[in-house]
Amino acid sequence: MNKNILLLRTLLLSTSQRNIYRYCKDKKKRGKIVGGFLAAGLLYAMLMAYCVLMCVGYGLSGMIDAAPVMCALVISMLAFFFTFFKTNGYLFNFKEYDMLMSLPFESSTVAGCKFMYMYVKSLPWYLSISLAMLIGYGAYAHPAAIVYPVWIILSLFLPVIPMLIAAFLGFLIARISAGFRKTNIIQTVLTMIFVIFCFSLRFIIESIFRNEQVEATLERTSEITSNAAGIYLPAKWFADAVTKNSVVAMLLLMGVSALLFASVFRVVGNSYRSINSALKSHAASKKYKLSGQKKRSAVRAVAFKEYKRLIGSTAYTVNGAMGEILAILFGLITLILGFDRIVQVVTNDAPFDHAMLQPAIPFFIYFFIGMAATTAMSPSLEGRNYWIVQSLPIEKKTLYQGKMLFNMYLTVPAMVFTTLCMCISAGVPAVDTVLYLLLGLALCAFSTAWGCVCGVKHIRLDWENEIEAIKQGSAVALYMLPNMFVVMGLVVLVVILGLRMDHRLLALAFILLATLLAALSYLRVMSLAKKTHVDIKQNQRKRRGKRRAA
Amino acid sequence: MADRFESGKAMLDIQHYSKTYGEGKKAADDVCLTIESGDIYGFIGHNGAGKTTTIRAVVGVLDFTEGDIYIDGHSVKDEPMECKKVTAYIPDNPDLYENLTGLQYLNFVADVFDISAAEREERIKKYADMFEITDSLGDMISSYSHGMKQKVAIISALIHEPKLVVLDEPFVGLDPKASFTLKEIMHEMCRNGSAIFFSTHVLDVAEKLCNKVAIIRKGKIIATGTMEEITEGHSLEEAFLSDTFAEADHE
Repeated sequence: MNKNILLLRTLLLSTSQRNIYRYCKDKKKRGKIVGGFLAAGLLYAMLMAYCVLMCVGYGLSGMIDAAPVMCALVISMLAFFFTFFKTNGYLFNFKEYDMLMSLPFESSTVAGCKFMYMYVKSLPWYLSISLAMLIGYGAYAHPAAIVYPVWIILSLFLPVIPMLIAAFLGFLIARISAGFRKTNIIQTVLTMIFVIFCFSLRFIIESIFRNEQVEATLERTSEITSNAAGIYLPAKWFADAVTKNSVVAMLLLMGVSALLFASVFRVVGNSYRSINSALKSHAASKKYKLSGQKKRSAVRAVAFKEYKRLIGSTAYTVNGAMGEILAILFGLITLILGFDRIVQVVTNDAPFDHAMLQPAIPFFIYFFIGMAATTAMSPSLEGRNYWIVQSLPIEKKTLYQGKMLFNMYLTVPAMVFTTLCMCISAGVPAVDTVLYLLLGLALCAFSTAWGCVCGVKHIRLDWENEIEAIKQGSAVALYMLPNMFVVMGLVVLVVILGLRMDHRLLALAFILLATLLAALSYLRVMSLAKKTHVDIKQNQRKRRGKRRAA
Repeated sequence: MADRFESGKAMLDIQHYSKTYGEGKKAADDVCLTIESGDIYGFIGHNGAGKTTTIRAVVGVLDFTEGDIYIDGHSVKDEPMECKKVTAYIPDNPDLYENLTGLQYLNFVADVFDISAAEREERIKKYADMFEITDSLGDMISSYSHGMKQKVAIISALIHEPKLVVLDEPFVGLDPKASFTLKEIMHEMCRNGSAIFFSTHVLDVAEKLCNKVAIIRKGKIIATGTMEEITEGHSLEEAFLSDTFAEADHE
């Protein structure tokens, strides 16, 4: 068997839920796998429904021709970002590196297969978007029969180029970091800088494409889409292949994808071993002098451990603390440019009184800060080191309190700083500023405790790669998705309600609601802590009984 | 002992290998070793002395710039694939694919080395029976104890009948019966012309098992030779802790 296929097959098998279901004897675990499949199915259905509705919108406004380009752009953007965040854990610095590299595999084979693994694992998401948009496009554009197979085949190639670009950027960052002593910190900082650049790129592109003559929002979207396709050629090739039946465009998309794959992994393969050697090596100092030791309470000791765990992993830092960094930057930019200017940029100069947005300030900030909670990831991140905390003479609730304390350490300063920046910039009265600060703190507490509920309830310790716990775990999905949608809804709700009732009363009501939800979530964590404590003790007893019987 | 270990051709030849980490700290400094077929070569040293750094470079996992390492005449730098085809590596804490069964993992390694179905079945059965793990091969590796994982890693290393076996602390986590079995396998392999290079802290085991030994301190080889040359009539433990090696350390 070809070694690429063999390695790819084994990588997929080693994380296949089907394989675990087949060989696992734990009924509870098998039930969780089935539940995971159902939840994933539901998410796919929601995503597909959203995409179909998007096409219906295009169809009703007579712009269905923009659907293929939009499909290509959405898939490309998602593929780029998802891959960029995962590259560090999957392509470099992965756990089984020693085992794989000691086997007769070329470096480029290992790197290429790791990339293909990422591709295959994320392909169902991209295909669900593409197929849903094909359905919407088919319903309104009534294309020729040949368009359907062409669309489906090219959908397989659409994510390849953006994924390769993201992987190559990750490789460049890793390569630059490998030249420094503190490789991990350099890698984290470079990744953060790049992500922030990407976020600001959206506004740069929009300002380039902004056409004051175009008034209607949908038409502006169409304009931006076609302009973006002019720059990002693979989207244009996809659209041309589908709408104009261009064989050349089709071959270009397929050929360039294949060629780029071969070229990227030839380059990556050449320095793969040296990069991983640098990333997996930690310089040891022989001049360390033991002094200034501090005594901490158990809760604070756990919080400190969480801090070291966060900064010890680029993937964890980038995913866990990105919201806080973006919030602080957002606050600084607001302070420099002014609240009104920021609202103008974000709303494309929509004519309305900017003061009506003020009650939503805490929710704007929470949109960033609440996008990830370390408490949703950290229980699973204990992984195979779970025995350390299990064997310590601390109760589970102390462990979870420590984890929650760390998330509060992370979120509260960012929330306070950004709220103050925005309130000062918007000229918010002192009483309102205090209320927004209190609301912000209550939201931080809710995010922390709710994240912990998800993290403990859906703890998964048997991951192969920490990215599985950081980005792909059901705990993280369960925390993040409803949280994001609810926040978006709350922003709209607060603005509408703010026009009809006293905004201070409104802020007070939300403070009470967020505090109540935070308290309920905290109590749930405490009850889960008792439950897991009992479960573990029961399991230990069962194991002991089995051993005796054996 | 001499008749059991016939000297043969150099199976592993480490020439002036150095590995420098950040700020110029040398984890391995001008290491030179030659391990011939039939050798059971012990590699001993304190924690952080540079044993694992050297071993990882030998098996092609760690990149290095100074010196060269040859396995069966092939350079690890220039012909890594040729070297890996004849080498097996067992790390001190093997990271196996936890969500595969033991058998699935062994089949993966057998596929990598292109072992025929009949041969792999025979070898897996032979070694799994020897390590008394046959009954558990259908279970997920995640359900294995550390020792069982170590046994699977050992079987996967032996499945392609390597010419050079490199082991990092191989006896950690193995039960007494498995340790004995592994020692027997090591002897048998050497009788068949393979070479074994392993690191250990258990000096008694090294003394009884090895015909040659190298002592590494602070990245430098401070003593190398046959067991008799190193111990000079004392026990290996006495020799290792003696002033002679301590002085070498200071120098």
